[in-house]
Amino acid sequence: MTPLAAPRPGPRVTGGLLCAAGFALLAWDGLLAAALGAELLATAFWWWARASDDPARHLPRWEWLRRPAAALWLAMAGAAAAPAGAPGPWRALEAGAGVWAGLELLAALPLARPFSDLPGPLLALGPWLPAVLPAAGFVVLWRLQEHWLGVAHVRDAAAALLLVTAALAALRAFARRRWTAGLRWLMVGDGALAGLLVAVRAVPPAASLLLWLSASGAHAFLLGAELSGAVPRRGPVLSAIWRATTWTASAALAWPMLLAVGARFGAHGPLWFLAAAAPVALVAWVNVARMVEAPERRAVDRPGTGIALSRVAPLFALAGVPVALAIASWSGPPVGWGAALLALAPAAVGGLGGLLTFRGIAPGAIAAAADEPARTDRLAVWGRAARQTARRVFRLVTALERTIADRVVWLLRLPAAPLRDLHSGDAQEYLLLLVGVAVLAVVLPLLG
Amino acid sequence: MNAAPALALFLTPALPAGLALAAGALLLRLEHRGRPLAALGPLAALVLLALALARAPLAGPALAPLAAGLVAAALARDRANLLHSECALKLLWVMGGALALSHAGLSLLTLATGVGPVGEQWGVLRLGLTPQPVWSAALPLALLAGLVMLGGAPFHFWVADLFQGARPSLAPLAVAALQAAGAAWIAWRLGGIAGFPEGATLARVVLATAAIAVFLASAGTLVSQRRPERRVGTLASLQAGLALSGLAATLAPGAGAHEAAWRLAPWAAHLALALTGAAALARFMPVPASPDAPGGALFRRHPASGLAGLFALFSLAGVPGTPGAQLWLDAARGLSAAGQTGALLALGAGWVAAFATVMQQVREAFGVASRTPPERAVPWEARAALWTAGAGLVALAVAWRIAGRP
Repeated sequence: MTPLAAPRPGPRVTGGLLCAAGFALLAWDGLLAAALGAELLATAFWWWARASDDPARHLPRWEWLRRPAAALWLAMAGAAAAPAGAPGPWRALEAGAGVWAGLELLAALPLARPFSDLPGPLLALGPWLPAVLPAAGFVVLWRLQEHWLGVAHVRDAAAALLLVTAALAALRAFARRRWTAGLRWLMVGDGALAGLLVAVRAVPPAASLLLWLSASGAHAFLLGAELSGAVPRRGPVLSAIWRATTWTASAALAWPMLLAVGARFGAHGPLWFLAAAAPVALVAWVNVARMVEAPERRAVDRPGTGIALSRVAPLFALAGVPVALAIASWSGPPVGWGAALLALAPAAVGGLGGLLTFRGIAPGAIAAAADEPARTDRLAVWGRAARQTARRVFRLVTALERTIADRVVWLLRLPAAPLRDLHSGDAQEYLLLLVGVAVLAVVLPLLG
Repeated sequence: MNAAPALALFLTPALPAGLALAAGALLLRLEHRGRPLAALGPLAALVLLALALARAPLAGPALAPLAAGLVAAALARDRANLLHSECALKLLWVMGGALALSHAGLSLLTLATGVGPVGEQWGVLRLGLTPQPVWSAALPLALLAGLVMLGGAPFHFWVADLFQGARPSLAPLAVAALQAAGAAWIAWRLGGIAGFPEGATLARVVLATAAIAVFLASAGTLVSQRRPERRVGTLASLQAGLALSGLAATLAPGAGAHEAAWRLAPWAAHLALALTGAAALARFMPVPASPDAPGGALFRRHPASGLAGLFALFSLAGVPGTPGAQLWLDAARGLSAAGQTGALLALGAGWVAAFATVMQQVREAFGVASRTPPERAVPWEARAALWTAGAGLVALAVAWRIAGRP
């Protein structure tokens, strides 16, 4: 009789379990759980990468995921070592490290900005996997908000970085021709806008979570569906429903943020409002105009293709919106009609612009891969030029950031070279070094 | 049977040193397989080193030269082994010189005060009869031997050299004994210095500066290191930073100087076990030539034994949940209470670098998924040594939790 072999889960299952456990811990309260969660998330990507078809490419690519985990461990250690009633620097360390982790996962730091352009390490789910990271980033920022919202300079720096990220994500989503890549960047934008919502304390935490879940959840569903037949884009009705869903959810996420951001930054309020309104409008445009109906070649729906789920999912995606807005309106100060309409304007203008652009494109004219449309009218030419400009701006900004980051790393490594040259391994050098330090030990106190 | 007395044995370095000796003996058996008589000499050296380690917290200044001489002799005994000879030579150069300089400092203090016993020297210095430049030059010199033996920067390379060059049976006990002797030297030299506040302030500045140098240099070194043995060596140097931080914190105004010896006991107990496990593990860790290199034989054939060894490596780096993390946390709290912000930040940098390094090491150990079975087997003696160190550290953690830190 053959003995039963112990079940050995494959890398896909193991990585999935690690990822799920990581998310559960990130959503748990406390810095230790967050650090452990980020570590498990990094381990999941490493696990997938080491078992991928090209580990030499994927292992270095996803190595940076340990940095957010390390930042959270540092925040946890800072909190554990801090004396009771710790002074400012302790709180700044804790807040800064926690925010670093959230921002880096959210692609809001220049060190790991372009990961949403790259497919993940798992062959079957590769294009979907990077979408996990901005979600994790927002969860970190949201869960740890009590640790960083009280430190003014950390909070303001985070808000500025999130604003830049929202703009870059919108530009990239607009510039990318592939809908899957665009969706990944839309999720980054959702996370950044939701993070901004948290940073400006626009709504209670529960409301910001619900609004983010609606917007990001809708995009995540669309991204998942793109990998299994693009069901939500099949047929005019379904695609219209999803177009309305993503537009509404994104607009609902941006609305309270735009309402608060102008008031939050005093004299600079209008500037902040304009800076935040631009990405909101662009995201709305992408949500509407890029959601193009996919050609349906079948006369009858094939069972098991997820049509029913695609029809029900918008309800779930939108269910949180009224609840969140109700919570926000009950807990916040009354809002005037003028301000409310002004805050709604960017999403409305972007969405309407998208509708105007979208009308007249026949189903199938833009394929799922969104090849360059075969249109030569003026609108299409402008669209191509605008996309190219967006691509160039994104590349210019990221190249500039990369250069600055590389220079900083170079400066940090500068002292390491003489440190290495200090000792070449010869035994005689030990004695020379010893004499040098002894002289220093004698001379320095005398100088003091 | 009541478990408390057994656990209480872990509160001093005696039982941990015994376990480290047992692990060393297992590795020695592996190195001298089929030649039991040839192992007797090295075994005797290991026993003496374990004794030195066990007595370190209570030892006087004589332990430092004895431990250094013993390690150099044990290394030089294997004449055919060039790496052993090189390590012995380097140790003699650096420790012989350091001890000579420190004795010069001690002699200067004796000349300046006119009394020999350390405790009495502080009382004489407090009278203000000795010129300040004399004692302020002599005191750092007197501490130099301890700093070198601890493996603090810029002398951190001897620790990594020893881990890379010496046999795995000898290296961990030798390093632990030398480091403990170095810490004991400093504790002895500073005994009673609370009676001379100016001297305590100077000593605190010197120790805190040395701790900063240790943490920053080790953090910088860890980033560029590739060989697992050298990484373990640098992690051991970071333990020197913890000892220096602890000693500096005890010199803060209001802290009793007697606490120095009190803190050395758990530090030395942990050092013995963590270094033993990590050094044995390092021998079975691959040095990956490329990111997609497969893992080592240990983790592919005996992952449980590998994890037991990893616990020791994790403890050395202060990964939360290990007994080593408690030492890091204590050092951080001590520095925080003493107001040593610079040393505290450096400690944070060292800890993050250590943590990142061991996580990188774990990934390299597991390597890329491979269906090809590993070529070489891992001997049971090595696995037993890993389990001994791992189990010892778990017992240490339990003992600290139940009985409280000594």
